[in-house]
Amino acid sequence: MIDGILQKIKDQRRLSPTEGLALLREAPLLELAEAAGEIRHRQNPGGMVTFVVDTNPNYTNICVNDCAFCAFYRRAGAPDAYVRSVDELIGSFKAAAAAGVRTVLLQGGVNPELPLSYYLELVTRTIGEAPEIHPHFFSPPEIMGMAATSGRKLEEVLTLLWEAGLRTLPGGGAEVLSEQVKAIVSPRKGTARDWLGVMRAAHRIGFKSTATMMFGHAETDRDIITHLQAIRNLQDEYDGFTAFIPWSFKPGNSPLGERTGRQPQALRYLRLIALARIYLDNFPHIQTSPFSEGKKIGQVALHFGADDFGGTLLEENVHRAADFVNPGSMEESIHLIHAAGFDAAERDTRYRILKHFPRTERRMA
Amino acid sequence: MKITFRDNNLPPLWDKIEAGARLTLEDGLILFRSDDLIALGRMAREMNYRRNGDAVYYSLNQKIEPTNICRLQCRFCAFSVQPDDPRAYELSIPEILEKISPSIREVHITGALHPDRPWRYYLDLVAAIRERFPQVGIKAYTAVEIDYFHRQFGIPVKQVLKGLKNAGLDSLPGGGAEIFSQRVRLRLFPGKISAKRWLMIHRVAHLAGIPTNATMLYGHIETIEERLRHLIMLRELQDETGGFFSFIPLPFQPGQLGITPGNRATGGVDDLKTIAISRLMLDNFPHVKAYWVMLTQEGASLALHFGADDLDGTVGGERIAHDAGADTPQSLARENLTGMIRETGRIAVERDVFYNPLRADGEDIIGKIPYLNSVPFYHHFPRQPFRLLPLAPRQMGILSRQGQIAGGPFSLMDYLAQDDGLTMLNYCIASPREVGSVLLFSKLPWTGLEAKDIGITDDTATSVRLLRVLLEQRYGVQARLRRLRSHERIYDPYQAVLLIGDEALRRRKSGLPGFPLVFDLAGEWFNWQQLPFVFAVWACDKELPEKKRQALAGAIERSLRQAEGKMIALGASYCQGIGITPKEAAAYLAAFQYRLGEEEKEAIRIFRGYIHD
Repeated sequence: MIDGILQKIKDQRRLSPTEGLALLREAPLLELAEAAGEIRHRQNPGGMVTFVVDTNPNYTNICVNDCAFCAFYRRAGAPDAYVRSVDELIGSFKAAAAAGVRTVLLQGGVNPELPLSYYLELVTRTIGEAPEIHPHFFSPPEIMGMAATSGRKLEEVLTLLWEAGLRTLPGGGAEVLSEQVKAIVSPRKGTARDWLGVMRAAHRIGFKSTATMMFGHAETDRDIITHLQAIRNLQDEYDGFTAFIPWSFKPGNSPLGERTGRQPQALRYLRLIALARIYLDNFPHIQTSPFSEGKKIGQVALHFGADDFGGTLLEENVHRAADFVNPGSMEESIHLIHAAGFDAAERDTRYRILKHFPRTERRMA
Repeated sequence: MKITFRDNNLPPLWDKIEAGARLTLEDGLILFRSDDLIALGRMAREMNYRRNGDAVYYSLNQKIEPTNICRLQCRFCAFSVQPDDPRAYELSIPEILEKISPSIREVHITGALHPDRPWRYYLDLVAAIRERFPQVGIKAYTAVEIDYFHRQFGIPVKQVLKGLKNAGLDSLPGGGAEIFSQRVRLRLFPGKISAKRWLMIHRVAHLAGIPTNATMLYGHIETIEERLRHLIMLRELQDETGGFFSFIPLPFQPGQLGITPGNRATGGVDDLKTIAISRLMLDNFPHVKAYWVMLTQEGASLALHFGADDLDGTVGGERIAHDAGADTPQSLARENLTGMIRETGRIAVERDVFYNPLRADGEDIIGKIPYLNSVPFYHHFPRQPFRLLPLAPRQMGILSRQGQIAGGPFSLMDYLAQDDGLTMLNYCIASPREVGSVLLFSKLPWTGLEAKDIGITDDTATSVRLLRVLLEQRYGVQARLRRLRSHERIYDPYQAVLLIGDEALRRRKSGLPGFPLVFDLAGEWFNWQQLPFVFAVWACDKELPEKKRQALAGAIERSLRQAEGKMIALGASYCQGIGITPKEAAAYLAAFQYRLGEEEKEAIRIFRGYIHD
């Protein structure tokens, strides 16, 4: 069966969920990588790997969703709960811009105390006062929160954000897009259908977004395929996804982590990167995450079908709250990309190339 | 196994490997410069599969570091201290014995060059462990320590090693090799023994019957060419002695030592490339180890896909790597290791200090005889649904009796001893005339061996029994058969030595000094009985479901049929490690009878009659 599927991939035909499941479960790791690599080099020839110079701050850690996997959020009134003012955030964006940051990936908790005007002001003022910065703000659960607190429809909220100047959304909060899984790990954060609904509405307006997946907790192999199938279907409609970004669950300091314990995820991660490259035939980019998977595995993933190295992450709090810290830098990203055998390029959040960093020594004849 | 290459420089090298040719330094440079990581991995995985089948080895082991007080102060070492350092410690022999868990099967002792312990201490430590824990293999003292004993106590290296072996030492670890470049050694480890000396000590150990491992510390200031020269020097010594078990590439842990730019650690891609290229270059090394303590557990499990077949072991305590900042849990239980191995679909094989399998976890395991004469059964053997475990004939008998394998070619004696639990399949390894690989090397003619000592190999019961039948029933001679210990290569005390398999083939060509007469046991049997001799018969567990039995028979038949058309090519791909020419290998293979016919059955019946007398 696997040989037949690998041949189908060579013939550039789309895989069914059954075939995807068979690959995930049974394909030998390197054969899977080889097939993914072929597609990656066909889709994005020239052996280039992109990265973005970004920072990943949070405007609040107050959240009503109580997700079982999260070590970051606090309930309102907790001694270390915080909300950062628009002024404070804009100040930090300016400082980040001065340090070379080009994208701010801004997310919160879902904090019902914050009015819609707060979010709109953040977008407008970022564009006005820190024009070097591309705002990459607010994942679907936050958009849903804004709709709930303002009493407006999703489409209205998204249109207001668009009019304020927002053009891209981060793809967080998807976890695994399977209703059974979401009911276990994030029952209050909205269903899989809700997440897809926000993205569909956003893509229809013209937003671009990423799609993430956090795996390695309560999901089955079938749930993984359900997730990939759902985002592939949506991508067929509006072509709004720029990249798929899987990362492994970090069990530190969370109730879900106490249940799952620490499990090695590297092989699973590489399988998923390769499978995603094969299965998501309509996604332009697959992003590896040296920040969340470690530099070694993050680098190796470039040979399993990933063509993007993610962000350099000047500031990051969510993994940090799970005691998982893996600081990176632009220089280091370039070094790791070159050492893996690829040319590097800085991109913006819409995956437009800003600057090339070719390898000085071409290793392959 | 078709590999898709993205780097056009690789296919010629793969052709070379498939034809059994050896990779050169220049070939190695092409491999290291290649960006086609996945193809490198597939090549290495394939090469490993040919040698080690589906086996991944581990041991229940423990590392003991008797002291951290060291005369050397190597720049990269965060473990060693001066005697007046508050962190300094030294353990007494009773304290060490106390630390050893009775459940382990291998202890790995490395320490530091302590300024004033007496020679007696080192011998007594080994002897005390040997006495208290007879089931525990003792792997102790790197070449650096052996050299230190020689200098400190004024004893020749050979005597140091013999003394330790007599006390109970089984093998030497591979540490202290670092990188065999004088340039790098002078800069980073100026106090350590030279590369030449390291290699000399391992040569002497091998000749004294002490197998060893070999390491390479990479990812500091060495060049790719220096890595390759290191590998080639090891390969050359292995050609000479065959005494290495495992090669262990160790990524440098940069800590805060300022040795690499920005104290950068090796990349994941470099780690995997180094594993894969080591496997490809070291065509005569049995094993390549992914040492999880240094690579991390995840890195090691990934390395198993890139040509590694050895995970070290459970490793009781591990200070050197931890003091330098390696980020892995202190130790892994057996379940943890076997889980990692299962995830790759392979067989988790617990080994002893000599890499004899003690236990195999996995389903549908078929034993694989690791000798050239069995290659026609295995070269085209399908990858599914069975998994192959390399086993010397005697080990196949033992594991079968324990119900750990589903089938395989059994040494005839093992088959006859277990035939109520086994179903015979219609395949065998039989020799119509001379066999060439079951040889008695003798100082005396047959009739002169009366009451003399004959050294016999540890690996097979059938050849030993055939020897006894020939001695006693054909020649009327009673000799004393003495079992050689695993990897013993000291034959002087014997009047004759029985060698089998690839070692016999090698010796038939090179000769065994001091043993001018060579008797081919199958030829002797034929001259006597006018029948072939059946060394092994294929059989499977009687409990194996009918469907699987048929699948097994089908797999053997298909593999054999494919092989029969190309014995010359097969001989060429496998003769490398043995030291015979492709032509000699092909002629050797062509002389076997692999299908069980009436003559073979008659020969079995007659042999059975002799052994029941």
